[in-house]
Amino acid sequence: MNFTKTLKTIGKLLSPLKKNIIPIFLIVAFLIIDVYCNLTLPEYTADIVDVGIPNTDFNYIISVGTMMMAMVLIGILATIGLSYFSSKVSSAYGRDLRKISYDKILKFSNFELNKISRASLITRNTNDVYQIQIFLGLFFTTMLFSPILGIGSILKAMELGTDLLWIIAVTFIAAIIPFILIFIRTIPYFKVMQELTDKINQISREILLGIPVIKAFVRQEYEEERFRETNEDFKSVNLNVFRILLVLMPGMTLLLNLMIVLILYFGAYDAIQGKILTGTIIAFIQYATQIVMAFLMIGGFLVMIPRILVSGRRVAEVINTEITISDGPIDEIDDNTTLEFKNVVYSYPRSEKETLKDINFKLEKGKTTAIIGGTGSGKSTILNLIPRLQDVTGGEILVNDHNIKDYKLTTLRERISYAPQKAILFEGTVRSNMLIGKEDASDDEIRKALNMAEVDFIESLDDGVSQGASNYSGGQKQRLQLARSILAERDFYLFDDCFSALDMNTEAKVKENLKSLNENSSMLIVSQRISTIMDADEIIVLDEGEIIDKGTHDYLNEKCTIYREIVSSQIDRSKDLLYDNEESSNYILDTSYIKKTTGGK
Amino acid sequence: MARKPRRAPPEKPANTKQSIKNIFSLLTGYKLKLSLTVICGIISTAFSVISPLLIGFATTTIFDGINSGNMNIDYIINLLIAIVILYIISAVFSYLQSYILLDITNDISYNLRKDLVEKVTHLSMSDLDTNTRGDILSRITNDVDSLQTGIIQTFNQLLTGVITVIGVTVMMLSINLWLTLTTIVLVPIALLIITYITKYSQDYYLKQLRHRGNLNGQIEESFTGHEIIRAFNQEAKSMRAFEEENENWYEQEWKSKFFSSLSSPFIRFISNLQYVIISVLGAVLVLQSAISVGDILAFIQYSKNFTTPIEQITRIMNMVQTAMAASERIFEFFEIKVEENPSKEQINAINEDISFENVSFGYSEDELVIKELTFKVKKGEKIAIVGETGAGKTTIVKLLMRFYDLNSGEIKIDGVNINNYDKHSVRSLVGMVLQDTWLFNDTIYNNIRYGKLDATEEEVINASIEVHADHFIRQIPEGYESELNEDADNISHGQKQLLTIARTILSNKQILVLDEATSSVDTRTEKIIQEAMDKLMKDRTSFIIAHRLSTVRNADKIIVIEDGHIIEQGSHEELLEQKGYYYNTLNTQNEGNII
Repeated sequence: MNFTKTLKTIGKLLSPLKKNIIPIFLIVAFLIIDVYCNLTLPEYTADIVDVGIPNTDFNYIISVGTMMMAMVLIGILATIGLSYFSSKVSSAYGRDLRKISYDKILKFSNFELNKISRASLITRNTNDVYQIQIFLGLFFTTMLFSPILGIGSILKAMELGTDLLWIIAVTFIAAIIPFILIFIRTIPYFKVMQELTDKINQISREILLGIPVIKAFVRQEYEEERFRETNEDFKSVNLNVFRILLVLMPGMTLLLNLMIVLILYFGAYDAIQGKILTGTIIAFIQYATQIVMAFLMIGGFLVMIPRILVSGRRVAEVINTEITISDGPIDEIDDNTTLEFKNVVYSYPRSEKETLKDINFKLEKGKTTAIIGGTGSGKSTILNLIPRLQDVTGGEILVNDHNIKDYKLTTLRERISYAPQKAILFEGTVRSNMLIGKEDASDDEIRKALNMAEVDFIESLDDGVSQGASNYSGGQKQRLQLARSILAERDFYLFDDCFSALDMNTEAKVKENLKSLNENSSMLIVSQRISTIMDADEIIVLDEGEIIDKGTHDYLNEKCTIYREIVSSQIDRSKDLLYDNEESSNYILDTSYIKKTTGGK
Repeated sequence: MARKPRRAPPEKPANTKQSIKNIFSLLTGYKLKLSLTVICGIISTAFSVISPLLIGFATTTIFDGINSGNMNIDYIINLLIAIVILYIISAVFSYLQSYILLDITNDISYNLRKDLVEKVTHLSMSDLDTNTRGDILSRITNDVDSLQTGIIQTFNQLLTGVITVIGVTVMMLSINLWLTLTTIVLVPIALLIITYITKYSQDYYLKQLRHRGNLNGQIEESFTGHEIIRAFNQEAKSMRAFEEENENWYEQEWKSKFFSSLSSPFIRFISNLQYVIISVLGAVLVLQSAISVGDILAFIQYSKNFTTPIEQITRIMNMVQTAMAASERIFEFFEIKVEENPSKEQINAINEDISFENVSFGYSEDELVIKELTFKVKKGEKIAIVGETGAGKTTIVKLLMRFYDLNSGEIKIDGVNINNYDKHSVRSLVGMVLQDTWLFNDTIYNNIRYGKLDATEEEVINASIEVHADHFIRQIPEGYESELNEDADNISHGQKQLLTIARTILSNKQILVLDEATSSVDTRTEKIIQEAMDKLMKDRTSFIIAHRLSTVRNADKIIVIEDGHIIEQGSHEELLEQKGYYYNTLNTQNEGNII
């Protein structure tokens, strides 16, 4: 691990604290006051024992007692102030760090999103930041307290002027060595333990998801056996680790008490020589205990640091990520827009294979272009390149003869509408989801778009949409997002296989409705279904990232073998269908037709 | 991946008495070990409680020595040796106490996890349906953990805490009554303040928990929908929504933190107050010769031993509550009845036919999914089930598997109701390939072998050759020994499907259930899967939830399901002749869509 780099990372992570510098200063001040008040108490006790009692001075004892009460009261006030500011500062820190990281993640392109997975980004922006925030709170209240208390106690112990300080040093060394040994011995186990915890989770999850299969194969015992192995490993590692760790508590208590015994023993000899008084011994014992305790506490916190560094690094990685896709200078696009792919190449980072090779085509006003190809042929990638969700790695995409990288992102994206295969809707209402498509859309406009998308299943625009739109079926979601994407007038409509969950009948209606859009704009449709794209002006046949051929359906059906293969695998000639023909093998029978066309209405 | 916002687990048990009973029932098997822990705890605490008194004696001796000029050093040394011995004994027993306790709790957790998983594998499908998977999972992991921590804390801290408090009180009383009373009187006051603060902060805690959930949900949603936010220029709007939730959480969070952090300074305040009282009142008592100087030191130590456990107890009460709530959830799960399987009668083969007779079924009482279904399949026949999504196709095969019990009617094999047989033996007759491919984290080899655990290597490889999976398996770096990772995303969906088919081929069952949908697979893989499925069906009695005309047409019998009813059944030709729904479907589709 690079040390300066780590420091830089920590510095960056702590930067949100800058604006809270005054409260932090107050926190430290309160801490010092608190520690000071605590430290004076043993001294006063020493005075009572060494001066008050031998002189039987009642008034002296009372006046010292009053001072002690005052110290206790000041101490508690300081602690309350400390708690107040540290809660505020650490919570505000969490809030600000979350904001910085959220803001950064919003700017991510698909490239960065794939580098750190979305699930991980969610955990980083929620849980990891929270861990750091909690740690900071602990740091202000407890961790900072320990060293200040420790140092203060050392100073106070020295002030007592005894020659017993070496006992503290010996105890400290005697404590630190087993501490480190135990630490070194258990660290590797912790990693194993984490792995086993994950494994227990994973097997349980597998079993839960696979119950139908497990039941069908009657493999209950097999699964239980599979779980048992991990369960047993977990148990034995757990035992090993904690048997060692459990030594710590009694061991340290014992050490502390031995220290007290040593102080009394040597203190007694000093007392014979008249070098020390009883009260001083009592006070010294208090300070010595506090010193050792303070350093043990610091040790305990040091143990937490590697764990918190993991969270820190994960968040820092987000914040430090360089954004690969950024604005260009041009902030206006003329109407009459065209879009052209020129020798476009795309390959995923660290991948030798090119996902897209030498792609050339042009989108024009009034034209519908379609892309067909198998899974993994690169269809979706082409679509993602247009609104710059990710950038080309070779060649260029031109809008009105300017590279799209030269436009401001918002300017470019304002011209584009996009609907992915997996419909994404947000928690809220139908209306709030539609407004994403066009911020100032009127209800009439929304209704018109919903009608065009054949959304006939909602009661009002205020119908709720739950998280992940789980209250709608796949086909309903696709129709809703389609409505969203056609709400605003755009130059380019990109539909990424977004009719896949619709039945043929609905799809046909939707496509008919969409024709009106096409007059002033161009449409790019990606699909695996021939029926979806058959009537496009230009069909691009994509296979393993390359354009095999392009043209109209009739042209391709005649000239392009791959296209013909796809057609024959999906469409049966009407006669073959009814009068048995071996060729017609893979026709997809769409039974929703049964209802719609015959008995339905 | 659209997960629900994380729901906070319940922090408090609904029925305290019952959950205490449950926890005790877990402990009954460990009576001997438990008594040992308790004894060790008592010994350890007793010995550590005596020591401060002895330290006090030593101090007094020093004090007297200074005043009289005649130090009784031998007495002091003897005292100190006694103290060291006491402390060592105390430490040893303290370690023993936690050692044994660790043994017990670790064993309990192990057994709970084991039992929970066994419960899961033996639950009926309908009970599994009513519990969400995430919920069950969290019982196996989180709840068992909280329970273990809870038990350890209770015994380690609560037990020693209580013993210490009692022991210390006794020791203090033996020194001086008045000093003891003034020290102890502060404790109930402290407890009152803490309870008040905790109650007050609880409100904020719950509020901030809710806001935290909202914020996490918002973050999750916008990262999941990242493309949409970017493509529609929604960044600023999303940022605004985030900041609003973020600010809301902050407002409640710092307050919650502040109030809950107040209890520990208050405890320290009380303990400092005790310190002052002991010093001052102690000195006064020394002057009156009621106590000696060393007693002050002893008292200072005792008062610390007194407040620390009380502070710990208040702190772990939360943990104990969480543990009780966890035990409640665990036991609640244990109470669900496992799938009943009363009959031991084995069925080993199908000789004649399978028949559904007036079968009706619904997942919930009031809504039937399958209504009065009657049909017959002869041995070796292929039957295609056709119908809209939600018509009840999958349900039919689930009923054959006896995943659910019928509401009425009978399913018979060779004329005998399948309910008369051992469930497992019925299931053993059936091989299943579902749309959701289920594979587990292990090698490809072991995943295929799952179909027949005693299969030879040759059999496994032959099965994969037969379904055209051998080729791609060998292309992966480690071949059959490749580990399928979480959610098995190192191979494609179609390849996963092939592995499940290979697994089923290997298992060599007489009856087959196939769910044919291959929507997310490209055309080529689709063809391979189709071929594999055809091979699989050869000479077997098959139920196919069919989507493809070829399957439908080649089936010996087609049943068309609508809304839980059979609306037509017969062979392809028969159905065409009937000129009913089936005929119309095919016909209209031709007119409508094809060239």
